[in-house]
Amino acid sequence: MAEKLLEKPAGRIDEVPEQRLMRGLLDHFASAMTDFQRLDRGVMRAKVERRELHKVCKFLKDNMSFEHISMISAVDYEDRFEIVYHITSYRDKLLLELVTTTPKDDPSVDSISSIWGGADWQERESYDLMGIRFNNHPKLERILLPKDYLYHPLRKDFKG
Amino acid sequence: MAEMWINMGPQHPMTHGLWNLRIKVDGETIVDAQPEVGYLHRGIEKLAEGKTYTQIIPIADRLCYGSSMTWSHLYCLTVENLMGLEVPERAEYIRVMAIEMQRIASHLMWLAAYASDLGLAAGFTYTMRDREVLIDLFQALTGGRLTYNYPRIGGVAHDLPANFERDALRAVDYMETRLKQYEDMFEGSKIFMMRNVGIGILKKGDAVNLGVTGPSLRASGVSYDLRKDMPYSVYPEMDFAVATHEDCDCYARYRVRMDEMWESCKIIRQSLKKMPKGKWRIVAPRTAPVGTGLGRVEDPRGEGMMYLVGDGTDRPYRLKIRSPIFVTVSAAPKILVGYKLADVVAIMGGLDMCIGEADR
Amino acid sequence: MKEQGGSGPGSAILFKSRDFLKWWDGVFEGVLRRSPVGSGIDYLTKDFFNWATRNSIYFLHFGIMCCALEMAVASAPRFDQQRFGIIPRSSPRQCDVLLVNGPVSKKLKPALRRLYDQMPEPKWVIAMGECAISGGPFYNSYSVVPGVDQFIPVDVYIPGCPARPEALLDGFLKLQKMIKENKKGLLTGK
Repeated sequence: MAEKLLEKPAGRIDEVPEQRLMRGLLDHFASAMTDFQRLDRGVMRAKVERRELHKVCKFLKDNMSFEHISMISAVDYEDRFEIVYHITSYRDKLLLELVTTTPKDDPSVDSISSIWGGADWQERESYDLMGIRFNNHPKLERILLPKDYLYHPLRKDFKG
Repeated sequence: MAEMWINMGPQHPMTHGLWNLRIKVDGETIVDAQPEVGYLHRGIEKLAEGKTYTQIIPIADRLCYGSSMTWSHLYCLTVENLMGLEVPERAEYIRVMAIEMQRIASHLMWLAAYASDLGLAAGFTYTMRDREVLIDLFQALTGGRLTYNYPRIGGVAHDLPANFERDALRAVDYMETRLKQYEDMFEGSKIFMMRNVGIGILKKGDAVNLGVTGPSLRASGVSYDLRKDMPYSVYPEMDFAVATHEDCDCYARYRVRMDEMWESCKIIRQSLKKMPKGKWRIVAPRTAPVGTGLGRVEDPRGEGMMYLVGDGTDRPYRLKIRSPIFVTVSAAPKILVGYKLADVVAIMGGLDMCIGEADR
Repeated sequence: MKEQGGSGPGSAILFKSRDFLKWWDGVFEGVLRRSPVGSGIDYLTKDFFNWATRNSIYFLHFGIMCCALEMAVASAPRFDQQRFGIIPRSSPRQCDVLLVNGPVSKKLKPALRRLYDQMPEPKWVIAMGECAISGGPFYNSYSVVPGVDQFIPVDVYIPGCPARPEALLDGFLKLQKMIKENKKGLLTGK
């Protein structure tokens, strides 16, 4: 289902929106972005370093017209946490799946709620259920569980 | 004037589902609002990690009970994306027809609750009675009234029953005459119009930034509908228009939903006409490959998404659900500020809350 | 209890309202509750009040999950629970019946208990749907209380997932029969 785009796209004429996106990201953040994949028509996937995440998101919103943050998910693997951002562009009809990894003992990443207001509650939910800390979040507290609940239930070591 | 916090608490006839809205009022004008959700949290994402892929379909139904066919369809789409399955064409058409019927039923339910909250009790009785016509069709098709357990991974559970086409076309004809009568009833009511026009303005830039999707976004002028812009299933074959409106107020949201009901009637007719004969289900493998799957649908309330991580066994590793209402509720403070206390019902009702999906 | 107020031409006998209520409670307890007068009044009016109670059941407008939609549909023209006198009310102080129709999460449990305590006697509880009876499809979740009868006494259980509106009407009729069988006088409680 996924095709890898290995070469940098060549010219600007006749460029598909996915290629324009990939070129824009690679021009500015070549060191931070890796592993581009095209999952489906209009759906792309890329990995990003967690230190560069805020800059990449700001670039996506201001320059590449990605106006809408669809979903922020957190996955608990054995050796790492993965935080997956799905960002949509209304103008180009694209969906970008940005994956960033954090080590198990320091699950924290910069908050992007200053870029997109819609990320606010989704980050609170990831904190509540998975325990990921978002730096510079305006109000990081529990949202779905009672305020005095002690655990993060979606982690794999929580046996409910 | 005195400022105080008022609690529109978990038990309130307006809320349609349990959530808490703390409003700071200065006299009668709203100054601040803090919504609080979580009273319906059932831990579905954790439950899904312990069940097989087919056992999660009834649980996905109960995510948003106002439009349960959409959510089980979304779950099946996600699993089929993960496994790389190709669903037979007859099943796709049956699914689309069922989803559009569900969209009309969900909007009728919203209209019933909205009308009765705004004081138009006749609206409640008429729309509920007409919703029963659609529920009868669903009972013939799936066996259930509210939660259906009908889509399967690889198709649908069983084929259309006898005479279903005739009954469905009759129901759609009846629905179109009733929709015309509803428009006359609601727009001819002076109180309904006064409580809706000019109330609850949500500007385009705010709506996009805050992540609001669905009819509330289209009522603010952004013409984005997943069925047209990033289509899935057999929507590319269907001919319908995207309902948009330029005023960003409660009347626009009502108007967008009425137009969507008209368009859904069109889509049901087309899908019944174009439906091919053939298989309605393929047998899906029991275990899923290692990888990720993504599904997106245009729910009656907005953009629903699911992200599924498979690990080679017959149970999911992680299922993440994006609920449109979860994000729309967080936009409540922006919309409410500046209006009077009596407008809260119209504004929050117009956003069509179904808190079951927000809390998961 | 009585005070001479002021020395003037129109000096009245003053009651403090708190003392008046204490006196009235004494009269009520003694004469009406414990004496044969009370039992006599009860004997004459018991049937009438019981008929009124069971034919005008007001339940609390409290919708938790899917069964709440079936509760709303029961007010719709096809099923029409109002012909039995069953009407939803918004405030718990005015209700007889608490209809629990969904899974009770741990965050909701104190709120629900407080709603139950706010209702005046006589009160009944109906558990509608599998989630209220035993936790339903979510019985093994970390955040759902497995059954509402863990902290609230339940009178009628209505199975179904979701319970059909006809089943809800049947549950209300069974409650009416229960109220008829346990006739209690309002004054003496017997």
